Amino acid sequence: MARFFSLVFLVLLASFSFAESVPTAIDRLIVAKVNGAKVSKPAEDDEFLRRAYLDFAGTIPSVEQARAFFTDKSPDKRAKLIDQLLASPAYPKRMADLFHVMLMERLGDFPEWSTYLKTCFEKNTHWDAMARDILRASSTDAKGASFFLSKRLENYGQNPVDYSALTRDIGRLFLGKNLQCAECHDHLFIKDYKQQDFKGIHAFVQNTYLVDAKTAAVAEKPTTTKLDYMSVFKKVPKQTGPSLPGGKEFEPPPLKKGEEYIVKPDPKTKIPGQLKFSPLAILAEELPKKDNTDFALNGGNRIWFLLMGRGIVHPLDLHHKENPASHPELLALLAKEFATHDFDIKWLFKEIALSQAYQRSSEFPSGETKVAPESFRTAIEKRLSAEQLLAAMQQAMGVKADAAVLTKVNKAFANAPREPEDEVNPSLKAALFLLNDPAVLAWHVPKGGNLVERLGKLTDDKIAEELYLSVLTRLPATDERGLIEGYLKKNVGEREKAIGRLAWSLLASAEFGVNH
Amino acid sequence: MLRSNLCTPADHHLSRRQWFGTAAGAAFTVAAPSFAQTVKKKHKQVLFVWLDGGMSQLESWDPKPNTQFGGPFRTIQTSVPGIHVSELCPKSAKVMHHLALVRSLCTQDNSHSAGVERIQRGDPKNRGVTYPFFGGAVSKLLGNGDSGLPPYIWIKPMSGGFIPKDGGFLGPKYGALALGDGKPPENLLRPATMSVAEDLERNDLRNLVDKRYAERRSKENIEATKYVFDMAAQLQKRRDLFEAPFAPKDQERYGTHDLGRHMLLARRMLEAGVTFVKVNSYGWDTHGDNFNGQGSLVPQFDQAFAAMIEDLHERGMLDNVLVIAMSEFGRTPRINGHIGRDHWPEAWSLVTAGTGIQKGVVVGKTNDKGTFVASEEHDIGHMFHTWFKALGIDPKATEYDNEGQPLPIAHDGCKAVKELLL
Repeated sequence: MARFFSLVFLVLLASFSFAESVPTAIDRLIVAKVNGAKVSKPAEDDEFLRRAYLDFAGTIPSVEQARAFFTDKSPDKRAKLIDQLLASPAYPKRMADLFHVMLMERLGDFPEWSTYLKTCFEKNTHWDAMARDILRASSTDAKGASFFLSKRLENYGQNPVDYSALTRDIGRLFLGKNLQCAECHDHLFIKDYKQQDFKGIHAFVQNTYLVDAKTAAVAEKPTTTKLDYMSVFKKVPKQTGPSLPGGKEFEPPPLKKGEEYIVKPDPKTKIPGQLKFSPLAILAEELPKKDNTDFALNGGNRIWFLLMGRGIVHPLDLHHKENPASHPELLALLAKEFATHDFDIKWLFKEIALSQAYQRSSEFPSGETKVAPESFRTAIEKRLSAEQLLAAMQQAMGVKADAAVLTKVNKAFANAPREPEDEVNPSLKAALFLLNDPAVLAWHVPKGGNLVERLGKLTDDKIAEELYLSVLTRLPATDERGLIEGYLKKNVGEREKAIGRLAWSLLASAEFGVNH
Repeated sequence: MLRSNLCTPADHHLSRRQWFGTAAGAAFTVAAPSFAQTVKKKHKQVLFVWLDGGMSQLESWDPKPNTQFGGPFRTIQTSVPGIHVSELCPKSAKVMHHLALVRSLCTQDNSHSAGVERIQRGDPKNRGVTYPFFGGAVSKLLGNGDSGLPPYIWIKPMSGGFIPKDGGFLGPKYGALALGDGKPPENLLRPATMSVAEDLERNDLRNLVDKRYAERRSKENIEATKYVFDMAAQLQKRRDLFEAPFAPKDQERYGTHDLGRHMLLARRMLEAGVTFVKVNSYGWDTHGDNFNGQGSLVPQFDQAFAAMIEDLHERGMLDNVLVIAMSEFGRTPRINGHIGRDHWPEAWSLVTAGTGIQKGVVVGKTNDKGTFVASEEHDIGHMFHTWFKALGIDPKATEYDNEGQPLPIAHDGCKAVKELLL
């Protein structure tokens, strides 16, 4: 018996030292760099619950869900909640919105693209497979995935198609490298970014074109020669075939006119045909490979950012030696594990969400007034997308918004096209929407079982709790209860309106407006 | 830190900076701190009138009567001996002693889509970043004064809203608040169903919630939130800017057409202290029937513009307001088969006036037929240098600061036009 126990002990020891779990490793690597400083206390159940709901379900929990979680005494309730949220039908919808905003940066919408993304997260399609679909941009397989390219191949007015922006976006979003400033010469400040890197990616997409914006159909003209380029400084003519930064160059075969296709394109049906040498097919195949470290690092870093509010390399698209990771070992670990798990996004989400770092409070450690975000000692406030905000507002106020309101919320809270939504960013137009929009004001009038009507039926002493749980997913503190009761007493003659104003003050608050 | 005139490494990063340019986000402040204080002594403002599509220089500031391409209109004398303008500008002619004409513009773009943007951005050298429009740049460089109002208001026909694009890499804070057909954008004003007291009360409650939330958290988010709600409240206090009627006499002087109404509203915004007011007029692209087209548009402009100059002068505001009226290019001297004039960036004109600008002068000249510049040519970069100087901003010494990477505020291959400056 004793021998058995010691064996178990040995096995356990071995598994700890040789197969440390990812959440444990995350916390070890973060704490290793705090240099004696304190980390914030763990988030209370309320803050954790709200955060996890917003991250994985794209909305806040209902009062019942919150109460049930708070009263649950099981020690593994947080892990169970994460599992439950990752398995819920809200997860694919939330991820479709999240990846849409990240990949399209508000350039436009396309229903089949949204469906494609949603289906991916329903089936838990891995990130490498998604990247393959998106970059392959086939008109027949993975319908809708081609929108990433097709939208960027549209041209506006008299302006030509912006191939430079397409090249840049592939580098930024899939490889974590913004090569924009290496288009005309080697990057002047970033030694790692060479003109060859930009041109190599450019050579993959230079012959792509938009067949039909309505169907997001993309095709390629044959590529039979290398891409010519020269530095504006050095004026030495150079050439490159399609290649990834630091990777192999794919030489276009010198095919004669008429011999470029296996299946010729059909101009009548607009079916693009099948090329013998298709740079897009090579790009789709080569870029998401496990041995492409850029792809794995970028993937790990972006998934981390989505949950933690800041990249380990930050900005997200400036991976290079002079912009080092805040936690290089951690990033290496995330990239390696992500690749080892075949780029399973859901798996990585869960590992990060189980860490203490994810589950920390957003309040600074006591006595501190400023914490460097890259230390991850305190949870970072994350921006809520227009989609998250609208869902959370409906949940909080007990109302249903129509498509017109969705449009308004998008206008008020979304960034302009090509502006990544990666920071909390209060704006005048958002404030004006909250202050004066008729739809928002209508939510604060008792009607059809909405929050304000529900509150109106409660006695004054019960209102604060229901209100705070509904809107801020937490119980009011004693002073807040006092404030609410006092305010209601003062405004006894216009109780409904007073309740409406109280609800508005929480809905329009900074606390509601971020994922803290 | 390396220094270069070309790209910046974090160009994309710039454009999405937390737009509260202070505290930790101080990455994008103006390089010379003392200068903001210098300018603050007397808040400078700008009126920028944009005649979209291309005003014909031959039917306005640089007429060539009785020449091959001169067209049917005559010239008239102005209040400044020796300076003549088209007979379509009789009212401006009377205030010419306040104005400066530039007849030597030679710019790069002859398409609208490229020209509108390049001209309004001052056509800086390509540095891999999207430069702000003039309004965004001036908002950044001069701030919003003490008015509490947004620094950049754009009065235009058709739709309005928040136009982040004009902020370029400085970020959406320096974009325009556009008043479509002079009306406030959606939700700018509190609905009539809510009283002032109620509005104040709900915001007091909100401030309490925010204060409590921020006690143990980063202040930046709360400060930015406070800033935007304060600005919303300030706009609300100044409902009169949007709602008060104009005196019938003023309406008559400025004209009841779009440009007249919008210019009158612009006067009110300048009086309220808005830093940069842009007024747009559309429909100047007279490829066909140029002489009726410009023949009806130029007098509308003339009426509204001259009334504005008179009023600014009367109020002593020309001392601190810089006035500019221009297009993305001029129009071809050659008259096409549709009796129209096409796009002509080679030789065209603009008018400028007000703070820092010479009064009653003409700079540059075109050849006899008006086809090319016959003096030193001036690109838009020269004009940006000139205007920044006129506003008290040294365009050589002042730079945007991108986390240590300096970006010039104007094309560094150009310099100010001395003859225009006081």
